[in-house]
Amino acid sequence: MLKINNLSANIENKSILKDFSLNINPGEVHAIMGPNGSGKSTLSNILSGKKGYEISGEVLFENNNLFELETEERAHKGIFLAFQYPLEIPGVNTNIFLKTSLNAIRKAKGEKELDAIEFLKLVKEKARELKFDEEKLNRQLNVGFSGGEKKKNEILQMSMLSPKLSILDETDSGLDIDALKVVSDGVNTLRSKDNSFLIITHYQRLLDYIKPDFVHVLMNGKIIKSGGPELALELEKKGYENFN
Amino acid sequence: MTEQIKTDFEKIVKTSAFSEKDVELKKMYLNKFLESGFPTRKLENWKFSDLSQIIKKNIGELSFYNDYSFPNKVDNSIFVEGLEHNKIVFINGKVEKVDFTYEDHDKIEINDDFKFVDRLEDNNSLFSLNNAFTNKFYKITVKKNYSLKKPLVVYHSTNNKITSRNINLKLEFQLQQNSSLRLIDLFNDEAQNNFINIFYNFDLKENAILKNYKIDKALNKNIRYSYNNIEQDNNSVSETFVLSSGSNFSKNEINCNLKGEYSSAFVNGIFTLNDGQHHELRSIINHLVENTKSYQLIKSVLGKNSKSAYQGKIFVDSKAQKTDGYQLSKAILLDETSEFNAKPELEIYADDVKCSHGSASGSLDENSIFYLMSRGLNYQESKELLINGFLLDVVEKITDTEIKNLVKNMIGLKE
Repeated sequence: MLKINNLSANIENKSILKDFSLNINPGEVHAIMGPNGSGKSTLSNILSGKKGYEISGEVLFENNNLFELETEERAHKGIFLAFQYPLEIPGVNTNIFLKTSLNAIRKAKGEKELDAIEFLKLVKEKARELKFDEEKLNRQLNVGFSGGEKKKNEILQMSMLSPKLSILDETDSGLDIDALKVVSDGVNTLRSKDNSFLIITHYQRLLDYIKPDFVHVLMNGKIIKSGGPELALELEKKGYENFN
Repeated sequence: MTEQIKTDFEKIVKTSAFSEKDVELKKMYLNKFLESGFPTRKLENWKFSDLSQIIKKNIGELSFYNDYSFPNKVDNSIFVEGLEHNKIVFINGKVEKVDFTYEDHDKIEINDDFKFVDRLEDNNSLFSLNNAFTNKFYKITVKKNYSLKKPLVVYHSTNNKITSRNINLKLEFQLQQNSSLRLIDLFNDEAQNNFINIFYNFDLKENAILKNYKIDKALNKNIRYSYNNIEQDNNSVSETFVLSSGSNFSKNEINCNLKGEYSSAFVNGIFTLNDGQHHELRSIINHLVENTKSYQLIKSVLGKNSKSAYQGKIFVDSKAQKTDGYQLSKAILLDETSEFNAKPELEIYADDVKCSHGSASGSLDENSIFYLMSRGLNYQESKELLINGFLLDVVEKITDTEIKNLVKNMIGLKE
């Protein structure tokens, strides 16, 4: 599904990712763990198409050259990024935004756009599953939401859009245990033999709830070790500093 | 200009039925105007908009004579659909229709006797010009305890019979105790390259409520100046909303005298400008007694080669304890050639007051755009959604739901 070959990225002459390679097949859940500044967020930004990086190497998503696609085209093809810091968008109603987004993607996929009633039915169902306060759907997007609500909103969007590849950038940070469980349930519901996940996190905690198939340790822009779920436990015990 | 204006003035005097006394007064105003001419940037109030230059550059030589001896046909297609309303129709500065169909006629008084009210800002040369040339003006009185059932729409129309003209018009409103009026000014121009000079005076008695919505939306090449003076007694409320978007140049001035306790004034405005447009809003809120309140929110979205300015002054008299004054202006600059100027001013002589002001400008937030695009919206859609949200905030301040929806439709704002 996703093939990253020798990806290097610089920002303002600072090298952040160095010859990074990773292969994600349909249905797989990969976790990337790494300390602050190891390049985790840069990786998720680049995969979603954020501008401002000098890039070399190759990224293929279902055999499409990702670098030839605009951010919204990547979303149309099924890439979703759950933001580490979801943005507050004043004046934009959450429901309207969700509907606009969902229909933009459905339209691009050649599916029928949902009308207001179909949309509301779907969003209410998903919100209930995620224990997301329905009243918030009528508020301005993320404005005045707590950290946890913002993260839940990301997962709500993810489950509405049912992407093929979901990238979760530190979705667990700022979540209490209950919210962590709800969010993980949301992710697990979406798991299937066709959908893949790239989970970026500092801590092993999230991986208790979302069992990864592979764990990779990212340090200084490079994967230094890959393994199964047990690698996360080892990392938790030793800490990043002593891991080398 | 001097020769032209004098000749035009004589011509008007000859063809109109003004009394000798009126002619004397008008002459006095004409001379006053001639002494100072059109305002230039040397005046502090006009530092962001040199009207004299703007007229010279865009119109050239103005003529001041308007032939009001024949009626203009009122084009019904300009009327707002889906909103029952009363009407006053100006065409080229002349009142062609006054229609208060929906109201109790003994509750409203319409007076068109020519009488000067000389209490407006004296050093404003445009006020002198207006007084010298206004053909006929109406005073509308809403009587005690009466609220107009339907809004009043004032249509400011011009037709293509005129160009390079100066048009002056004036309306007076008195809202007696416990009365209320919703007033929409709608600008509709077929004519181009004219200078339109508008003065309104509002006298709000105790508990009166005025809501004035000024909608300058249709693109036109005119230069417009509009002055609202609002006098407020105890407990009265004025709400002014300005949509500043259609004219080539426009300056709105709102002068509000809060002279009765617990009176309050709200001024909200939206500028959406492009291609060489230049608009300004200047507000002066005078808190003159205790316990008065003012609130202002002004937002601009500025495209290529456009410019907006906001000068907001809050004056608090030494007697005006417990004043609550707030103003905020924000601008999104869509292009490196767009420009926003803000001059907030607080002049406070009382010690127990709550006053604040703020101003911010910048380009659209690229991170927000990236966020929206990552959800499948393209660049243009993301940009529009953000601008929509930015402006919606101001439209939501409109307290009249019917008119709020009308304005939303007019601007194409989505909830």
